[in-house]
Amino acid sequence: MRVRSMLEGIGWRSVAIYFFMLLVFFTLLNYAGDKIAIGVMVAISLLFSAFLAIVLYRRVIGPLNEVIEAARDIARGNLSRRLSISSQDEFGDLAKSINDMADRLRHTIDEITAEKDRAQAMLDSMSDVVLALDRKGRIIMVNPAVETTFGIPQADCVGRSVVEVIRNFDLDMVLQRVQATNSQLVREVAIISPEPRIFILRATPLVGNTKGGMVVLLRDISERKRMEQMRSEFMSNVSHELRTPLTSIRGFVETLQDSGTEDPQMTRHFLGIIATETARLSNLVDDLLDLSRIEERRVVHRWQREDIGTLVDQVLTVCGSRAEDKQIAIKASLQPRLPRLFGDPDLLAQVLINLVDNAIKYTPQGGTITISAQVEGDEIRIDVADNGVGIPAENLPRIFERFYRVEKARTRGLGGTGLGLAIVKHIVKGHGGRVDVKSVIGKGTVFSIFLPLEMPVTPPATDSFYLQ
Amino acid sequence: MAARHNFDKQLKEIQQDILRLGSLVEQALYDSVQALISLDVAAAGQVIMKDELIDQLCLEIEEKCVRVIATQQPLAGDLRMAVTGIKIIISLERMGDHCVDISRATMCLSGGALTAHPVEYIPEMADIVQQMVKDGLDAYVTRNVEKAKAMCAMDDLVDFIYNRIFRELIGCVKEHPANSYQMAYLLYVNRYIERIADHATNIGEAVIYLVTGERRELN
Repeated sequence: MRVRSMLEGIGWRSVAIYFFMLLVFFTLLNYAGDKIAIGVMVAISLLFSAFLAIVLYRRVIGPLNEVIEAARDIARGNLSRRLSISSQDEFGDLAKSINDMADRLRHTIDEITAEKDRAQAMLDSMSDVVLALDRKGRIIMVNPAVETTFGIPQADCVGRSVVEVIRNFDLDMVLQRVQATNSQLVREVAIISPEPRIFILRATPLVGNTKGGMVVLLRDISERKRMEQMRSEFMSNVSHELRTPLTSIRGFVETLQDSGTEDPQMTRHFLGIIATETARLSNLVDDLLDLSRIEERRVVHRWQREDIGTLVDQVLTVCGSRAEDKQIAIKASLQPRLPRLFGDPDLLAQVLINLVDNAIKYTPQGGTITISAQVEGDEIRIDVADNGVGIPAENLPRIFERFYRVEKARTRGLGGTGLGLAIVKHIVKGHGGRVDVKSVIGKGTVFSIFLPLEMPVTPPATDSFYLQ
Repeated sequence: MAARHNFDKQLKEIQQDILRLGSLVEQALYDSVQALISLDVAAAGQVIMKDELIDQLCLEIEEKCVRVIATQQPLAGDLRMAVTGIKIIISLERMGDHCVDISRATMCLSGGALTAHPVEYIPEMADIVQQMVKDGLDAYVTRNVEKAKAMCAMDDLVDFIYNRIFRELIGCVKEHPANSYQMAYLLYVNRYIERIADHATNIGEAVIYLVTGERRELN
C-alpha cells in the first residue's frame, strides 16, 4: 500500500509506460540485433522515439497547456471557466482541483459582492449625507444623498476636500478639530446653500485604521427645529390665553377683598365677571385637553362606519340646552338613505359639536341653525348654517388658525378659546377631508365639511397641531 | 520633485483658505440680509463681530500668497494663481465690509417696523447676489470659465432691481417725508448689496484671468 501511494505520488503511470517501452526496445534489440543491420535498428528506435514523443505530447503537454490556459483565464477574473479533462490520471485530478478552486473562488467572491452590495444599498438609501475622508481631509466615499441634499453630483466629490464641495466655515472648523484631536464631535451647523437648513453634524475618526481619516454624517434637522419653534410659539400663545382670564379674576378678587362687600350690586357684578372668566378658563383647559387627545391620535386609528343621524343626535344632546337658553332652533335636514360616514365617531362628533357651538355663540336670540348633509360625488358634504352675525370676508382665510379671532373683545366675551375651528380643521384633515366656509355679514355663515365616502387607501397623517 | 510637491501643497492650501473665507462671506451676506428683514439687532451684531474673523483670515491668506511669490518665484499659471488669490480675497474682504454696513443699517433701523414696500425686493436681490457669490467661488474651485461668465451676466439683473428699488424708495420718500430716515438707510442697503454683486463679478474676472490669462472687463 505504501509503495503504491508513493508511486502515485510521483506519477507512476508515465514511469511505468516508460519502463515498459524500454523493455520492449531491449527485447527487440536482443532478438533481432544480429539479423537486421544497425541502420534499421536506428530507424526503428527513431520511429519509436517519435511515437513516444507523440504519446508524451498527447498525454502530458496537451493537457498541461489546457491547464495553464485555464489557470490564466481564471486569474484574469473569468471565474466561469472550467477544465474539461476528465481522465483518471494526474491531469484529471489537477483539473478537478482547479475546477473546485474556481468554484470556491466564485462562491466566495459572490458572497463578498453580495455583502458589499448590501452595505452599499444601505448607504445609498440613507437620507443622511455620509462622507468618508482620508487623513488629508479628501473625500474618498460619499453616498447619493449628497446629490439630493446639496445638489452636488456624487462623482464630483471624490478626491476633493470638503470645503471645495460643501462650503461652510463651521463645518470645516469641526472637521479640522476632529482631525487634530482624533475624537468625535457632534455639532449643529447651519448651511445656507442651496437653501438655508440646519444639520446635525457628527464627525467620527476612523477606528482600527492606522491611516487615519474620518466618517462625517450630516442629518437635516430643519423640520425638527421648525417644529420646536412652533411648539414654543404655541406654548407662549397658550400661556398668554391662560393669563388673560386669570389676571382679570385676580383683579376683581383683590378689589372685592380690599373694598369689602358693602355694595351688593357691585359685588354681584364683580362676581358675575369672575364667573364668566372662570368659565372661559375652564373652556380653554377643556380645549387644550381635547387638543392633546387629538394630537395623540394624529393618525385616525379607529375607523368605523357611523350613521350621520346618530352623530347629529349626539350634537343635539350636548348643545341643545345652550341653544334653548338663547331660543335658537337647531334643525337637521339630512338627505334620505345617506351612506354612513367612515371615521372615528368621537372625533367626528367633536367636529359637529364645535361647529354648532360656534354657531350658537354668533347667532342672536331666536335664530336658526341648520345641519344638513348630502352626497356630492365621492364625498359626503355636511353643512352647519346659521343666520347669525357673519364673518367679514377679509377674516375668512384665517379663521381656522389657532387663537385667531375676528374681533378679540367680542369673542372673548362669548367665552371662545380660539381653538375650536382649528380643532375642526385638524380632525377633518386627519380623515382625508377638507373644510370650507362661506359667510355674509348680517345674514349668516355656512361651514361645510367634506369627507370621503371610502376610507383612504393610506390613512392621511396630518401635521402636528402645533404646525397649523 | 520634492520642491514642486511642496509648492503645489502651498497653492492648494491657499485655495482652500480662500474657500473658507468665501464661506464666511457667503454666511455674512445671508445673515446680514436676514437680520435686516427681521430687524434682528442681535443677529446684526453677530455679523459685525464675525467680520473680524474675515479680516484676519484675509491677512493670513495675503501673507501666504506673498510668501509663495517671494520664495518660489512662480511663473505663468502658478504666478496667476498667487496673484488671483490676492485679487479674490480683496473682493471678498470688501463684501464682508458691506455686510457689516448692512448690519449697521439694521441696528439704526431697529425699534420701528419696515414700512416701505420696496423692502420686499431686497431679499430677492440679495438671493441673486448670494447665488453670484456662490457661483463665483464654484467657478474658482472648478476653474470653470463659462460659469464665471454666466455669473457676471447676472449682474445686469441685479442692476435692474437696484434701479427699481432706488426709484421706488425715492417715490416713498416723496410720499411719506416723515419716513425719509428709514428710506435713506434702505437706499444705502440697496447700494451695498449692488456693490457686493460688483465685487462678485470681480471674482469672475479673476477666475477668467486665472484660467485663460486674459483680462476681461465684465462689469
